[in-house]
Amino acid sequence: MTIAIHTEGLTKHYGDVKALVDLDLDVAAGEIFGFLGPNGAGKTTAIRTLMDEIRATAGSATIVDLDTHRDSVAIRRHVGYVPGDLAMYPNLTGKDTITYFSNLRGGVEWPHVDELAERLDADLSKKVGDLSTGNRQKVGLILAFMNRPQVLIMDEPSSGLDPLVQREFQLLLREFVTEGGAVFLSSHTLSEVQRVADRVGIIRHGHLIALETVSELRSKAIRKVDLYFDGPVDAANFESIAGVRDVEVRNHHISLSFDGHVETLLQAASDTSTLIDITTQEADLEEIFLTYYRDEV
Amino acid sequence: MLTNVFTKTTRDRWLGWLVGAAAVALMFLFGMAVYQDIDLSLYTDLPVAFRTMFGIPENADVGSLAYGAIYGSYGMLTMAALALATGAASIGTEERNGTIGLLLGNPVSRTSVLISKAASLVILTAFGFVILWVAAIATPAILDVSTIGLDINALLFAMFINALFYGFFALAISAWTGNSSLASGVSAGVMVVSFIAVGLLPIVSGWENLAKVFPWYYYQNSQPVMNGLNWVHMGVLVAGSAVFAVIAVVGINRRDLRGQSVGVKMIDRLRANHYTHAIAERFAGTARVSRIWIKTASDYQGFLLIVSFSMFLMAIIVGPMYGLIDAQLKDFGAAIPDAMLAMFGGGDLSTFEGFYQIEIFGLMAPLAVMAITIAIGAGAMAGEEKRNTMGLLLANPIRRSTIILQKTITMVIYASIVGFATFLGTAAGATIGNLGMSLWYVAATCILATLLGLAFGGLALALGAATGRVPVAVFGSVGVAFVTYIVNAFLPLSQNFGGWAKMSPFYYYLGGDPLLEGLNWIHAGVLSGLAVALFALSIVLFERRDLRAKG
Repeated sequence: MTIAIHTEGLTKHYGDVKALVDLDLDVAAGEIFGFLGPNGAGKTTAIRTLMDEIRATAGSATIVDLDTHRDSVAIRRHVGYVPGDLAMYPNLTGKDTITYFSNLRGGVEWPHVDELAERLDADLSKKVGDLSTGNRQKVGLILAFMNRPQVLIMDEPSSGLDPLVQREFQLLLREFVTEGGAVFLSSHTLSEVQRVADRVGIIRHGHLIALETVSELRSKAIRKVDLYFDGPVDAANFESIAGVRDVEVRNHHISLSFDGHVETLLQAASDTSTLIDITTQEADLEEIFLTYYRDEV
Repeated sequence: MLTNVFTKTTRDRWLGWLVGAAAVALMFLFGMAVYQDIDLSLYTDLPVAFRTMFGIPENADVGSLAYGAIYGSYGMLTMAALALATGAASIGTEERNGTIGLLLGNPVSRTSVLISKAASLVILTAFGFVILWVAAIATPAILDVSTIGLDINALLFAMFINALFYGFFALAISAWTGNSSLASGVSAGVMVVSFIAVGLLPIVSGWENLAKVFPWYYYQNSQPVMNGLNWVHMGVLVAGSAVFAVIAVVGINRRDLRGQSVGVKMIDRLRANHYTHAIAERFAGTARVSRIWIKTASDYQGFLLIVSFSMFLMAIIVGPMYGLIDAQLKDFGAAIPDAMLAMFGGGDLSTFEGFYQIEIFGLMAPLAVMAITIAIGAGAMAGEEKRNTMGLLLANPIRRSTIILQKTITMVIYASIVGFATFLGTAAGATIGNLGMSLWYVAATCILATLLGLAFGGLALALGAATGRVPVAVFGSVGVAFVTYIVNAFLPLSQNFGGWAKMSPFYYYLGGDPLLEGLNWIHAGVLSGLAVALFALSIVLFERRDLRAKG
């Protein structure tokens, strides 16, 4: 597995404010990494440190094995970047903007740009200042993809995009990692991360508090489970299982909250009686998010 | 009136007024201290027209000279400029920032928003004049200068009314068009033309009454510091402000509000046109985004055109003008005191070189070059951070130092173009006027003016690179320019402070009399060295720090 992004104890303080504390993580090539957290948690600080816009107070980071500070210029040849709160030059058209930045990179493949523009339904003939937020964001996405980078770093990239374009964008991301690219994507659009990310890091008050695959996180999520048996059941058989809470028994039907591995629950169920039906309310990251941030919501 | 809109607008702009008024007050203190130290008898022999233009009362003493010349002339221009900037920003800036929609999304009328902005303009102007009033009372007391026979309150009141006139003028244009740049540009243009016309027209025989067409006449002509208020003149200015206020109310209510749209310019139309597409594309399309320095050049090309053309025109006019008023100048040239000449960069009025120095090189040429270099120095670096585009720029494989170097290239080229336009204008003016000036010496002076501008552009660049804040870069470099100009212009008039002038970059500009002596290589070296050092410092400062998240 090739590591595309690696951070070690990455820390950023602004005076007394600890915006980012000891961030350790790896993002592999061929992986979409979702970076989740509420506003002010440290997502943008982490991204701006990776891009050498701001300098780490402690720790280090590498992108494609190059140091993010020392080799920042070399790194940027391999990185496509969408900053948060994207701003561009209002007097330039989308095409002028792309030409400007491609000249800084040393050329542009217009057929590739045209293809991206068509897929994202972007109008490059208008001045950026006359575009809506979503349409401006499309130009930003084209800028990130146009030089066929190895790594994409994106801070809230789908801001303002309509659902159809969001779907196309997610498709682009999936194609990008299939070809061996790595994506570091910060978002608080949980459904988006859930759909596209392979792994998720959750950040809170500058600390990374969870780093797991989406499926692992789902397996940990609290979910409502309803089990239907062919005869009466005893609540005690389930209350002892790790992760089971709020057990309610109504005749042949038992309902409970559960945040463990489904396998253990099913084992207990089959040991109890004949299981006729099982329904479970699908966990999504929204619930996981609320679990981690329960004290704040 | 909407109290919160009024409060916010006032809060946003009071600092600018404080800095502007404090600068005038400081200049007043300097001026009065220096006037105390020098022989003022020469002032009494000045021709009326000159005294009127520079606000110098008849039989000037230390007090009347300081009030008339520094407050009444420079101070007035500064305060009027602040007022028109405030008036221009009132509605136009809200529209440019896209906040007008949010503001009017509340159950408030456009008229009430406008009235709140106008009230803020009046209060801020009053605030500025309170500072000037305190300084006007305190300074003579501190320096023990007599103010007997001077109507300080009348002067300050007339200045206040005159400042408001330009403020309301800009407010009217801003409200009518929603374009703050247009409002500040037009009103500043009217103010400067008016100031010059009221000063110069009375010199030309038979044209004296034409001055009454210009609003500045109703402020200056009656000399309020000596004669008290002329209520008819004040009435004209107040009526003018009232008319502008009405125009503003009608203007904002009659039109569509502008969004954040950048609008369609002539070049956009040419690009869209089938026949002109190819040629327009060369100038405005891919050509202007091929390099950072070229894009920066493209961003400031309109400003460059205005500044260079103005300098060219002004310089070309001075030659023939000298021919016209040559005899008069020679009559009283020797009688003009150094202190007054120093304000405009010094110069011997009995020679055409001296006349050119007073009219063009003393103040206008360095101002023109600095306007360009400081605009690029502050706007080009800190401006990218303010607009939040620096992150996107630095997402490309280029060094931070490359960005500074590319912006510096534009600054050097543009400063040179302004210097060259001044040279061309002066050379043409001298030729038309048959003055026989040494073109090499003119070129030397223009080179020094360019280098001086680059030094202050370098300072703006360094301040912007260090802080990422446009106001720090602009006010910092303009402030240093102002103080060092004063240091160079006024301190040598006093024997006690003579040597201090060498601390000022301005000394290395005209200190060696380049129009008469040619290029002083050491002075050129000092200015070049200063500029290069500041450019290098900018790179170091910018490389070291975190980019700002938002300007």
